[in-house]
Amino acid sequence: MSDFTHGFRIEQDKCRGCLSCMRACPTHAIRVRGGKARFAPDHCIDCGSCLPACSSGAIAATTWSVKDLSRFKYRVAVPSPVLFGQFPTGITPDHIVQGLLMLGFDAVWDFAVEICLVDRAIKAYVENWKGPFPLISVACPVVVRLVQVSYPRMVDQLICVQPPREIAGREIKRRFSRELDISPNEIAAIHITPCQAKTISIIHPAEEVESTLDGTLGISDVYNAIVASTNVIRAIPDRPSCARTIRNAAFLRSCLGDGLSRIISSHRYLQVTGISNITQVFDDIEKGRLRNVEFVEAHSCWSGCTGGNLTVGNVYVTQSKFNSMISKLPDMDPETLAEVERRYPEEDFLLERPIRPRRVAGSAVSLSERVRLVREAEAILEKLPGYDCGLCGAPTCKDLARDVSIGDAAQSDCVFYSRDRLRQLREIRLRGRE
Amino acid sequence: MAADVLLRKTFEVHGLDFDKAGDTSAEIKAILTDIGMDPDIIMRAGVVTFEAEMNVVMYAVRATVTFTLTEEALSIEVVDEGPGIPDLALAMQEGYSTASDEMREMGFGYGMGLPNIRKTSDQFALESEVGRGTRVFAMIRMDANE
Repeated sequence: MSDFTHGFRIEQDKCRGCLSCMRACPTHAIRVRGGKARFAPDHCIDCGSCLPACSSGAIAATTWSVKDLSRFKYRVAVPSPVLFGQFPTGITPDHIVQGLLMLGFDAVWDFAVEICLVDRAIKAYVENWKGPFPLISVACPVVVRLVQVSYPRMVDQLICVQPPREIAGREIKRRFSRELDISPNEIAAIHITPCQAKTISIIHPAEEVESTLDGTLGISDVYNAIVASTNVIRAIPDRPSCARTIRNAAFLRSCLGDGLSRIISSHRYLQVTGISNITQVFDDIEKGRLRNVEFVEAHSCWSGCTGGNLTVGNVYVTQSKFNSMISKLPDMDPETLAEVERRYPEEDFLLERPIRPRRVAGSAVSLSERVRLVREAEAILEKLPGYDCGLCGAPTCKDLARDVSIGDAAQSDCVFYSRDRLRQLREIRLRGRE
Repeated sequence: MAADVLLRKTFEVHGLDFDKAGDTSAEIKAILTDIGMDPDIIMRAGVVTFEAEMNVVMYAVRATVTFTLTEEALSIEVVDEGPGIPDLALAMQEGYSTASDEMREMGFGYGMGLPNIRKTSDQFALESEVGRGTRVFAMIRMDANE
């Protein structure tokens, strides 16, 4: 059985079997059988496409709550830059930091330094890389999982440099345990995340190691509390302002989807957003058509991390705010630069272990048996209509053929072969309307 | 000696068909993925097919690519109708290429094709007759897989 942890669950009693999530899933991980959707954990890449597709509220994201923080002695929030673009004007970065502190955090870590450190490490990695090309950024956990599941031949092209949030987690444990003289285990580094996928990348990292971070809260989990606390904060007379929260533009730019374009010369760099576009580009890479491209920065969300599924603000408003904030900030400030210069030679930024393809169930049987199943599936596919209507409960005829070959479905699930199936669908549909 | 053939497929590749270049190798990789083959073997099969396919697209008129799978190995045989190779030893040298500037512009023709096929496979054969065509055979063993 699979031991992959995922950030979603499908509540069976709420599911109306409408097929929408099945159609939205880019890795064809979902099947609807007996009027209920279920997903194959081996194939799920945590992209979250199913979440907005579900109109009956049956698919829910599993998240931490603020309560979970209480088991740690010292709690550090590591907010994604996206958080700072979510609020109405008038709620400043300073208010947001204060709000997080009121929520129960003991400190808020701005990881601008880590972002710059990782940019440098990536630049060095790209410059020393001998091939195969193009290299693929690992900033988006969905992209990493897509490669593991659907493009396993390309895993070596994933850049083996840790994301900035992981470097931040390590530094937080090191620094606060020294300053406060407590054990690193008593310190929680909690990422305030724009998406579910980053939560999963922390609970179950793709390279099968332990994350330096301890958990996540979604931006949507802290949003209301921050807005509420702002009113309280404003009422405090002579409130001391905390240290300047955002010191340079690099921090904000990192989540706009083209954060790395500045470090790689542009004609060798491609920026791709949206999972269907990424699939097209990856198909071309597999076909050897992008040999002159050295670097692909891919983000599952159309608008980079600003459009993550746990964000609150309108994505275009967020981006506009970001651009306005960026225009008022220096590219780099002396304080951050000095820290980067100090830490870069001392730290290691590579992943502890390389990312490997995901082992998918079914590879245990013998080669000849597997070939037999594939040929059987081919023969079944010949007999199916090829309309990919999805009414059988599998997203394409090819998927149904494969399911039939392994005994997970029957050819009679196809409406072309069975009036019973149509009758059954009508009943499910009527039940769903009740 | 001759192991039972589990699967055999033949594909046609046409010279100068840059549009479809890479499709055969992609299709073979897709089949191997369906079978649940070890990713390393798929990658090697992909490299072999892709390089051989590109040679056909760049230099030959047409070719058949035959992919054969047995319990012990997978093999790829490409037989083309084309100009042939006058000096096989020279063609096997890394960096030697007769590609045009346009082909290099597209990212090909660095003289690594045939050497790459040999390097990536466990068994390799190259035969050619000038004015008639070329046959490339490459075999990858399954040992790493089972």
